[in-house]
Amino acid sequence: MPQVKIIAKNFMDMVSSLPAMKLDKLYENAFICEAILRSLQPLAKKYVLQMLYIDTLVAAKLMEEWVLPDWFSKHRVALDRLLQLRIFTETVDRKKEKMYRINSTFQKNLQKLLVHGEVLPREPMPPNTVRLPSLEDLEAYALAQWEFFLLQLISSNQAERSSSISSAMLKVFKRGLLSQRDKEAPKLTESGFQFLLMDTNAQLWYIIREYISNSEERGVDSADLISFLLELSFHVTGEAYNLNTLNDVQRITIKDLADLGLVKLQQGRKESWFIPTKLVTNLSASLTDSSSRKQGFVVVETNFRMYAYSTSKLLCEILQQFASLEYQLPNLIVSAITKDSIYNAFEKGITADQIISFLQQNAHPRVALRIPSVPENVTDQIRLWESDRNRVEITPAHYYDEFPSREVFEAACDCAREWNGLLWEDSKKMRMVVKAEAHMHVREYLRRQK
Amino acid sequence: MGYGDKGRPNKRLKASAKFENIGEDVYFGEEADDDHRDGEGRQEKQDFSKLELKPDHSNRPLWACGDGRIFLETFSPLYKQAYDFLIAIAEPVCRPESMHEYNLTPHSLYAAVSVGLETETIISVLNKLSKTKLPQEMRDFIEKSTANYGKVKLVLKKNRYLVESPFPEVLNKLLRDEVIGRARITSEGANGRDGFTVSKVIGDIGGGGGHDELLNEAELAAAAEEKETHSFEIDPSQVENVKQRCLPNALNYPMLEEYDFRNDTVNPDLDMELKPQAQPRPYQEKSLSKMFGNGRARSGIIVLPCGAGKSLVGVSAASRIKKSCLCLATNAVSVDQWAFQFKLWSTIRDEQICRFTSDSKERFRGNAGVVVTTYNMVAFGGKRSEESEKIIEEIRNREWGLLLMDEVHVVPAHMFRKVISITKSHCKLGLTATLVREDERITDLNFLIGPKLYEANWLDLVKGGFIANVQCAEVWCPMTKEFFAEYLKKENSKKKQALYVMNPNKFRACEFLIRFHEQQRGDKIIVFADNLFALTEYAMKLRKPMIYGATSHVERTKILQAFKTSRDVNTVFLSKVGDNSIDIPEANVIIQISSHAGSRRQEAQRLGRILRAKGRLQDRMAGGKEEYNAFFYSLVSTDTQEMYYSTKRQQFLIDQGYSFKVITSLPPSDTGADLSYHRLEDQLALLGKVLSAGDDAVGLEQLEEDADDIALHKARYSMKSMSAMSGANGMVYMEYSTGHKGQMKSKPKDPTKRHHLFKKRFG
Amino acid sequence: MVNATKGLFISCDVPMAQFIINMNASLPASQKFIIHILDDTHMFVQPHVAEMIRSGISDFRKQNSYEKPT
Repeated sequence: MPQVKIIAKNFMDMVSSLPAMKLDKLYENAFICEAILRSLQPLAKKYVLQMLYIDTLVAAKLMEEWVLPDWFSKHRVALDRLLQLRIFTETVDRKKEKMYRINSTFQKNLQKLLVHGEVLPREPMPPNTVRLPSLEDLEAYALAQWEFFLLQLISSNQAERSSSISSAMLKVFKRGLLSQRDKEAPKLTESGFQFLLMDTNAQLWYIIREYISNSEERGVDSADLISFLLELSFHVTGEAYNLNTLNDVQRITIKDLADLGLVKLQQGRKESWFIPTKLVTNLSASLTDSSSRKQGFVVVETNFRMYAYSTSKLLCEILQQFASLEYQLPNLIVSAITKDSIYNAFEKGITADQIISFLQQNAHPRVALRIPSVPENVTDQIRLWESDRNRVEITPAHYYDEFPSREVFEAACDCAREWNGLLWEDSKKMRMVVKAEAHMHVREYLRRQK
Repeated sequence: MGYGDKGRPNKRLKASAKFENIGEDVYFGEEADDDHRDGEGRQEKQDFSKLELKPDHSNRPLWACGDGRIFLETFSPLYKQAYDFLIAIAEPVCRPESMHEYNLTPHSLYAAVSVGLETETIISVLNKLSKTKLPQEMRDFIEKSTANYGKVKLVLKKNRYLVESPFPEVLNKLLRDEVIGRARITSEGANGRDGFTVSKVIGDIGGGGGHDELLNEAELAAAAEEKETHSFEIDPSQVENVKQRCLPNALNYPMLEEYDFRNDTVNPDLDMELKPQAQPRPYQEKSLSKMFGNGRARSGIIVLPCGAGKSLVGVSAASRIKKSCLCLATNAVSVDQWAFQFKLWSTIRDEQICRFTSDSKERFRGNAGVVVTTYNMVAFGGKRSEESEKIIEEIRNREWGLLLMDEVHVVPAHMFRKVISITKSHCKLGLTATLVREDERITDLNFLIGPKLYEANWLDLVKGGFIANVQCAEVWCPMTKEFFAEYLKKENSKKKQALYVMNPNKFRACEFLIRFHEQQRGDKIIVFADNLFALTEYAMKLRKPMIYGATSHVERTKILQAFKTSRDVNTVFLSKVGDNSIDIPEANVIIQISSHAGSRRQEAQRLGRILRAKGRLQDRMAGGKEEYNAFFYSLVSTDTQEMYYSTKRQQFLIDQGYSFKVITSLPPSDTGADLSYHRLEDQLALLGKVLSAGDDAVGLEQLEEDADDIALHKARYSMKSMSAMSGANGMVYMEYSTGHKGQMKSKPKDPTKRHHLFKKRFG
Repeated sequence: MVNATKGLFISCDVPMAQFIINMNASLPASQKFIIHILDDTHMFVQPHVAEMIRSGISDFRKQNSYEKPT
């Protein structure tokens, strides 16, 4: 029986943003219905269960009686969510009364569930037919794949190893993260840098979202894809599932997912199978599940030196964004945070907060329990360097004076304000400064006044 | 950092061990500028990722890289032993809480060999502790660097100077040198080949103790074995020459000096013991064991943080050697303190110890005793009084068992050499809190005194409750509009310092802190200001007592006494006198309002004023109620040069593991009106005062010029030689003697132009 | 007639304003760029001097910061 997990908020958001028809199609999958039900807030859950065997419309007014007046706002929130997910639909009857009805597909599936119990679309293969990798090996594999994929994304000159990820796919991902001017090598964009510093789950979501958004272009229905991914996230890490349980589209998807490290593909003599890794089961991990957080590895010292217990090339790339690398040992990367290195990061669009949260999230267990996990003087200094950069703001603008009268002055100020361009005013001396973008409008306005 | 060895990562391996030539008086000019000290910056990343990790690497505490860099995990169970070992063989680069870094240099290896560690021991222990197989370059480096060290010892036995070595072929090599050959005296009783005397010496037990657990039985046995040594005698008058010939720039067999005090039957004994209540702490014991590791007394330097008990180490050393001891301090107050410490910790009787300063011309009774004096008194080259002359003669003629030198890194190198050449001593022990000098003359000291014997770890001492846990903070005080406008003007360039020190916002922050600590916590506060103008303005405005160079002895004593005992006097303002010349009673808050010229040593020394751990040990441990009960504030005016100097000064402390918290919101906005200079007109009045004061008046107090100041000035402004700058021979370091009339406001730089009253004083 | 002057609006803190004013004062008359000092933290300057001001500030900042040599 699959574990009771809550669908990540991200997934829920994605589901709720699907167009009506697609959502309806999604609900044809009983498993999905159950998963979504479990992920609802308690009040919304209750409403669904209450409506489970009601086939007719129910008046909104009636439903309002289900809550005490004090909790009306929660009531609205629950209903809105259900409407968003199209689990409930709203209509207006002849008496102009609002009525609600539960989605019939959804309803039927849930009813079936109650009666028959839940069933995953596929069963793991019996243990004696497959040779499974250990969980540690699997995890190492997943991480290595994921890292390699990221490296492919961010450094175009490391493309020695041919990636089986289609170049079209890679291009899609690269769109937001890399920019390329003719004849130059592709460079990381601001989003690209920020992407690097996000934690793995956030990165994963970004990629998956892009993948789903592009599914139509590839001829894959996004609802199908979401459905499949949701399903996968409820499989058991480390178990083998036969490829012959997948349809064609799903088979292609599985291949792509293997490139990302979400599943591992293996072949036996007669059969082939896929093994879900932690990455895919993490898609529906609850937010408080700390076991999914990978172990930290960075020690930041009060003298601005950093020691990262890792050998990952990716990590080297990431650290180089804001620190100056000094030594690379077999299992340790030594670097220094300097004003120059941090300023470099700022130039690239990385913010102090991003750097600091990266360091905090990846703190080595030995120092992670310290409060604070990153020395205060280091975080303070990084923030101070950031604010130092922003001490002077220079805006192209126009200076207005010599107004004939106070009325004209005040009207001009108002006009500038309307265009969001009033930077400064001195009503005593009747002068003001207007942003360059708003200048035309103010000038026009003044002309029309004559 | 620190040792003046300009070895760059690559150079370290290639070059033969060349030490800087101490014979030269050539100043290194530009290179002395701290900012460019390291010549090439280390730009490229060093890639040692191919080193092979041992299977149990997580149990081992350190990584050793081919360029000499060593990383040590402090949380390893083997940390303690590894630290002791590393501090003996390498220079610490930084020692914060989780990870230390060290550099292996020819220099540090020389020190290792000096305390008895042999090449093979060094390599095998390092390998044992290393996570990876020791890189071949490192092995080669160690072997090459130590090839010649420790092979030759200079021993003073029964009034005879012997050059000793387990390798007769080395001795022969030395003798082929003209100078050494001529210095040789043929002695009777020569029972070895080539006319050498052969004797047996006990080997060092594991290199000065403490590495036993790291060596296996066979290695231990080998170390403890009695070794055969060969020696020849040299003419006492030729000793310095022979030593010079052995230096790396010549024959490259630098001589170790050890004093076989137990077998010294010529010099009279001094019967003094450590009192039973003098319980040396672990790190004090360790440092002494390095000095006395093989039963002889080694010459060298011991480095302990301020407030950690250097005096007990000095007194213990003297008590072990039990021969006459000449103790040198930096000023008269310090002399008094040392004399006091001797009597406090040992059984020495009053008549056995005496002080020699411009105020006291005592003599000890009996054949042996302890004389405590200042460097100045001994090195002074001018005319003395008859009485002084007699005492100096005696000092010159006596064979001292121990030359105990305090604060070795304050004293100019050439003064050192003078002192060492004037006095004859068997063993020299230098004590200091910091091995940092701005003029890079570290290597000189190592040669004149000896190598570093031991260096304690500040953070470990804090953790052990031996020194206070200090909260360091940098308080950022924005300049007021008017002060900053003046600061920026070119015509005010000489007044820059005055302007950023007298910044009203800084004043208010200081006032706030004083108020807070006095009223809310009942603390004792010292405010330091190098700038006399500022000192006076602040102290007078806040109505607090102040002590500076010209303050009379009587006045000083009164103020300090009140500070110590009275509940009404809780803050005292000190000028640079506070750095050395004063017996600072216990305070637990320091506020620096002018941080001058980036002197790292001064910063560390000032911090040392509050490092004396107070209260019960339990309370001082983490979580106890006194966990942080010492505070060190550095007030800095933002957007000025002061920021630069402040950061620079802090480097040493940061490398020891301290961190400076930046405070930007003092004083809190709601206390505005309570503090001085709240009104613009008051601020402007102050500004006027600062601008109209003469340029001299707003500069530094010309009390003492220590070598650091000169070095720092030089580094930024000129390239003249040191003696040219001071304008005098050997009298750069001046002692200000107290208790006389005729107080001077400021002293001229050139001592030869001193007021005639002063000339008399030193006569 | 209302007068409109094209230029750059500078908004900063008090010390930086002083710095820019000082920078302006040290230039020969033909190169002075401040048109109006509006108040303690704002001013209006000629167009095209943004780069010069920024690099001036950057240099000044560098002078006052100590970076430990590696």
